[in-house]
Amino acid sequence: MPLAMAAGRVKARNDADLILASKRGDLSAFEEIYATHAGRMKSIAFHMLGDRADAEDAVQEAFLKIYRGAGAIQFDSHLAPWIYRILLNCCYDTGRKRRHQAEAPLTVEPAAQENAPLQVALRHALGRIHPQHRMVFWLFEVEGFRHSEVAAILEIPEGTSKKWLFEAKQELKRLLTESRS
Amino acid sequence: MTFDCKDLERALAVPELLPDAREHAKVCDACRRELWLWSEMSNVAPGLRQEWDTPDLWPKIRETLAAQQKAARPRSFDWRILAVAAALVMAVSVFVVMRWRPGSSAPAARQDSDFLTEQTLKEVEQSEAAYRASIDKLSRLAQPKLNASDNPETIADREKLLVLDSEISEVRSTVDRNRFNARLQTELAVLYREKQDTLKEILQRAQKY
Repeated sequence: MPLAMAAGRVKARNDADLILASKRGDLSAFEEIYATHAGRMKSIAFHMLGDRADAEDAVQEAFLKIYRGAGAIQFDSHLAPWIYRILLNCCYDTGRKRRHQAEAPLTVEPAAQENAPLQVALRHALGRIHPQHRMVFWLFEVEGFRHSEVAAILEIPEGTSKKWLFEAKQELKRLLTESRS
Repeated sequence: MTFDCKDLERALAVPELLPDAREHAKVCDACRRELWLWSEMSNVAPGLRQEWDTPDLWPKIRETLAAQQKAARPRSFDWRILAVAAALVMAVSVFVVMRWRPGSSAPAARQDSDFLTEQTLKEVEQSEAAYRASIDKLSRLAQPKLNASDNPETIADREKLLVLDSEISEVRSTVDRNRFNARLQTELAVLYREKQDTLKEILQRAQKY
């Protein structure tokens, strides 16, 4: 099934159906999971690794692990946090393999549409804040996850996710104010 | 509440105070800039998201998965056929031997051919305990080898062991309800034997490399 078609009917089957079908070896169901999550996964991986080729490798490795692990996932658990946790681990592994520092600074390859001065400054400032705060900021503000999802992905309490986001924004505000003055 | 510049930080943390902060910002340039920056960070952040086309990525993943499935399939097919065939042969043998035993032509109150005696059951349970002990020992040795690699052969081994475990537990729960059933006991023994052989095979292969 072409990917575009799969993307069009992502909501037709829920996560549990898709993972159940994937468990039985149905690659088209797995392709739907890919279509739903791959874009966001590439963006997160790029944020962590600072290189598109590395990001694609990490995403590929994550999907292979997700497929292999599909048999073990509990149906009462949510699929998305589990998928993104696997991705983060793959990014750490890829980062180590390539002798890059995981969660590398975000100065390489700015987004094509990035032209506002504040956006450029924000990208630069993000590279300078605490990695945990940066990750929460990225998942919440850039990728649009809710605090409950960020908490599940990073395996932290929801309150910690909110606290780290606040601290991230405080750090960023300070850095942006300094750079503007 | 009288809102002051020094209250701004607290207002950013407590959304209920934000209306007061906005009111104050109308007359305070510094706080207005801070508030603007705070909300503008959230507005521009989604623009940092990276998107690019990767038409080759899914085909690469699909190809790898298909190759892994192919590598795993023939192995699990062989052992399943073998296990079923062995169970059938043994069940038929037990039936034939019991059926043609001298003096067994008249049906007994209970069909002896299908049931174990107390003595045989004891022997069967002893042999099962020995199998389980041997399998536990082999599993402990094989586990690090199974965890250490993700090549298709190891993945196939892991899958086979998972299937075997689930079948063993299924047959065992049936046996628990009907301990004297010869066919079920035979089936369980075949599965134990298969698991034992698989673990031995994994260890032998690990020694070669």
